[in-house]
Amino acid sequence: MLLKIVKATTLAAIATCALNASDFNAQAEKDRLALIKYFEAKFEDPEKNRNTFFPYSTDDELKNSIAKGVKFEEFSKGNYAFNIDGKSQYEEIKEMPPYEDAIDEGEELYTKKFANGKSFASCYPNPAIGADYPMYDDKKKEIVTLTQSINTCLTSNGEKPWNTKKGNMAKLQAYFASATTDEEIKVNVTIPSADAAAAYERGKEYYYSQRGYLKLSCATCHVQGAGLRVRNEKLSQFVGQTTHFPVFRLKWDGLGTLERRVSGCIKDQGQVPPKDTSKEMKELIYFMAYMSNGLTVDGPDIRK
Amino acid sequence: MKKKYKATLATLFLSTFIGTSLSANDITKLDVKNECNVKENGIKKVLATASKYNIIAKKEGVEFKRLGMTNTQYIDGTMKAITEGSKTVDIVDNKNKKTGEVSTEYAAWRACSFAISALQQKEEAKTTWKLAMPGNGFEY
Repeated sequence: MLLKIVKATTLAAIATCALNASDFNAQAEKDRLALIKYFEAKFEDPEKNRNTFFPYSTDDELKNSIAKGVKFEEFSKGNYAFNIDGKSQYEEIKEMPPYEDAIDEGEELYTKKFANGKSFASCYPNPAIGADYPMYDDKKKEIVTLTQSINTCLTSNGEKPWNTKKGNMAKLQAYFASATTDEEIKVNVTIPSADAAAAYERGKEYYYSQRGYLKLSCATCHVQGAGLRVRNEKLSQFVGQTTHFPVFRLKWDGLGTLERRVSGCIKDQGQVPPKDTSKEMKELIYFMAYMSNGLTVDGPDIRK
Repeated sequence: MKKKYKATLATLFLSTFIGTSLSANDITKLDVKNECNVKENGIKKVLATASKYNIIAKKEGVEFKRLGMTNTQYIDGTMKAITEGSKTVDIVDNKNKKTGEVSTEYAAWRACSFAISALQQKEEAKTTWKLAMPGNGFEY
């Protein structure tokens, strides 16, 4: 009798745990699907939906510059998913991409021995890890980004950490992204616990909060503003923004990490950005990456 | 010199605000135009107000930045200009290269209004952020 009670209790406990584990991402999944629905509606027929989504765009833009019927899978290309003119320029540059040398240099960095004889290959036996980060570390109770993980690998092997925005950091990430793209791996950010869900929620609040002296939220430009023109550029849509990093930006004349780009956006809002490995930055990136779940990793890439 | 103006700022800050404690509610009730009015309050008091609220804004991770300068730089730059008797504050880029200048009064106003607005905006965002979210408060 006692054995039966113990068995029943154990089963109930396991079932509860399993149920809870699958529930941790319930809200995030709801958010992600709502966002995809919004962007698919927005780009279904820009000319027809002018009043709802593109009140300031010209007839010419709506007819000739913004693609119709853009679907989820295409969002990994950033604004080139809908930006007809931009896409043709992008495809021309892609014929001889300026980041190719960086991938090779990244591969060299990957295999180069540290002073202790180990290498990045000791930390990451498989370089196709572009879809594994950011992740929630339940032991440390914090988000771990790829940038942070690379620096942890360096310091735990007695090496100095790298600049988190460019240089070797971006080159190694370019190699990882390229290896991940080659294997056609999809973004799969997980929310394994209640603490991870709380971190996701904080990242979400950061993204949608107005900040800086311009009082803009990230969403002002990349949700409501996606597809609209700022000077002569079209704002990219939120879904798919993290899939292609690091990127070679023409403005930078070089390769940069996701943290570099996000910091730039926050500065543009008129606020001092959080540090690259701060809790705020990592939680923001965690939320952003979750919104790209299901899209194929497509990095490194080029952006203006 | 740097030590001198920092000490002056600290003295000003302490003499003006010692013994006061702030709640989010207090901050949202502040009238930026009154608090940061240089003509009415004097530049030193406005600067002390800027310093008081910017410390909190920094701690809360919402410090403003404009033209490449953080609000802390506006406060320090204005105090330096006052101490040195200068009527202008240099605007500098991230390599400390001068890119422009503004009057000390304007710099003090900006520093003060930025410091208070950053905190007020943070409070406001606690209730408004969901309005921008598809599937939550944003409807189309």
